[in-house]
Amino acid sequence: MGKIDFFLTEALGSLRRNYFMTIAALVTVFLSILVLGGVLVFVYTTNALLKEVEQKVNISVYLKTDPDPSMDEVQELQTEILSWPEVKTALYVSKEDAWERLKEDFKDSPEVIESISGNPLPASFEITLNDPQTVETVASRFEGLPIVDDVRYGKDVAERLFNFTNQARNFLVIFIVLLGVVSILLISNTIRLSIFARKREVEIMKLVGATNWFIRWPFIIEGVAVGLIGAAAAVVVVLLGNSFLVGRIRESMPFMAIPLDAVPTLFVSLVLLAVGVVIGALGSALGLRRFLKV
Amino acid sequence: MITFEEVTKIYPPSTVGLERVTLHIDKGEFVFLVGPSGSGKSTFIRLVIREIQPDRGRIIVGGRDLATLRSWKVPYLRRNIGCVFQDFKLLPNKTAFENVMYALTVTGNATSTSKKKAAEILNLVGLGHKADSYPHELSGGEQQRVSIARAFVNHPPLLIADEPTGNLDPETSMGIMQLLYRINKTGTTVIMATHDREMVDRMRRRVIALDAGRVVRDQKRGGYGED
Ligand SMILES: Nc1ncnc2c1ncn2[C@@H]1O[C@H](COP(=O)(O)OP(=O)(O)O)[C@@H](O)[C@H]1O
Ligand SMILES: [Mg+2]
Repeated sequence: MGKIDFFLTEALGSLRRNYFMTIAALVTVFLSILVLGGVLVFVYTTNALLKEVEQKVNISVYLKTDPDPSMDEVQELQTEILSWPEVKTALYVSKEDAWERLKEDFKDSPEVIESISGNPLPASFEITLNDPQTVETVASRFEGLPIVDDVRYGKDVAERLFNFTNQARNFLVIFIVLLGVVSILLISNTIRLSIFARKREVEIMKLVGATNWFIRWPFIIEGVAVGLIGAAAAVVVVLLGNSFLVGRIRESMPFMAIPLDAVPTLFVSLVLLAVGVVIGALGSALGLRRFLKV
Repeated sequence: MITFEEVTKIYPPSTVGLERVTLHIDKGEFVFLVGPSGSGKSTFIRLVIREIQPDRGRIIVGGRDLATLRSWKVPYLRRNIGCVFQDFKLLPNKTAFENVMYALTVTGNATSTSKKKAAEILNLVGLGHKADSYPHELSGGEQQRVSIARAFVNHPPLLIADEPTGNLDPETSMGIMQLLYRINKTGTTVIMATHDREMVDRMRRRVIALDAGRVVRDQKRGGYGED
């Protein structure tokens, strides 16, 4: 089709002629989509991690140390815990196990371990639940038991994490909106410049009776192309960053089996590309607004 | 073809473009629009193609009242009016052939038959052998022929030329004049604004003389000045 050929060559030629503005617009689109993509990946990954945390260790029950409970008492408590229907597993971590874990955690700085005399760590039960919602009910049953010193459950941790991520998210949303506005303005400026550069062509087009839409199309394609290319570059970086991040988390927290599909990559990519197109179209529309009145 | 009724155009704040102009131009006529610089010739032309609108009065072109013409229909009005200007208005980075094709593409007529049409029209204006030349490789007269080819490629019923020979020497001007004359012979109404006294006197066509925005003379077979 001659028409579509015409639009594409016009748009491409113009992008090349105004390469400085084109690059500025591309970079801002790239950055805003990159931050948006980063936030999406962050949100999906932290959500998956939090879920994992909640399910991994729902409740830790620390036993008294002075004196340490007898094996029988421990046995008795474990049997009771396991008889509760909400409980999935109850792992007993002895004082020695706890000491080994601590040594493992501080294996890079053995002086810390050496400075501790004896084994002050308490034995504990790590309880997982069938339904994380029941955590408070279960935790309250340990109150007043003679051999129990302290009960902690992941909920506080999870809540604190949630609060932090929520705040970070609000801040990032404002940042993204600002970047988005800047990209729209830069694209509209690119379009205005290319209209200016092609004043003569536009004048001649009007003279021979081109419709306004015919004149607008190359400029719209130009803006959308900038949005799409910037978004595509950002998508590539986001996807690479995501797989790198997943690798790092696996490495540093092998016990946290984060699922491979924590981030729905196809969905995120499509959303980011769509946002790029919308930014490009809005920029074009803004650039074309006061134009073509004659 | 064209009717002006008491048309007045004032450029802000108070420059008179045209003042109370009433005239009628029939289908197939050849009309010279003469008058000193600033007398309103270009204003008349810009009103006809609805680049601007009058402050008072009525303009009818091809049976359509331009005041009530919806703005999205203006491009369709212009497809029926070929326009030629003193400065040619060719695209410098396109060849003669591409410049003519441009008018067809832009109006959504870029088919294989239109390519043939563009080649034919270039032959008609005597530039078939320069179809692949760029404007800077052509003389002024040749460039003006290309712009006439572009204006006429759709065979519009009306062709308007605003001082088309203003930048050309007398001999070349005569060639352009003859081209417009031939176009008029095909039935197209031609309106030509000009300064060229000698040419107007030689052609003996209808002359409409403007001065300070007013029609001061409208003569069936006139000359440039009163005679
Ligand atoms: N865009 C404009 N703004 C203000 N005044 C204009 C404009 N165009 C033309 N004029 C004035 O209107 C008058 C008629 O101009 P014009 O129609 O261009 O005359 P001509 O083509 O006969 O030389 C002149 O006084 C000119 O200065
Ligand atoms: Mg003029």
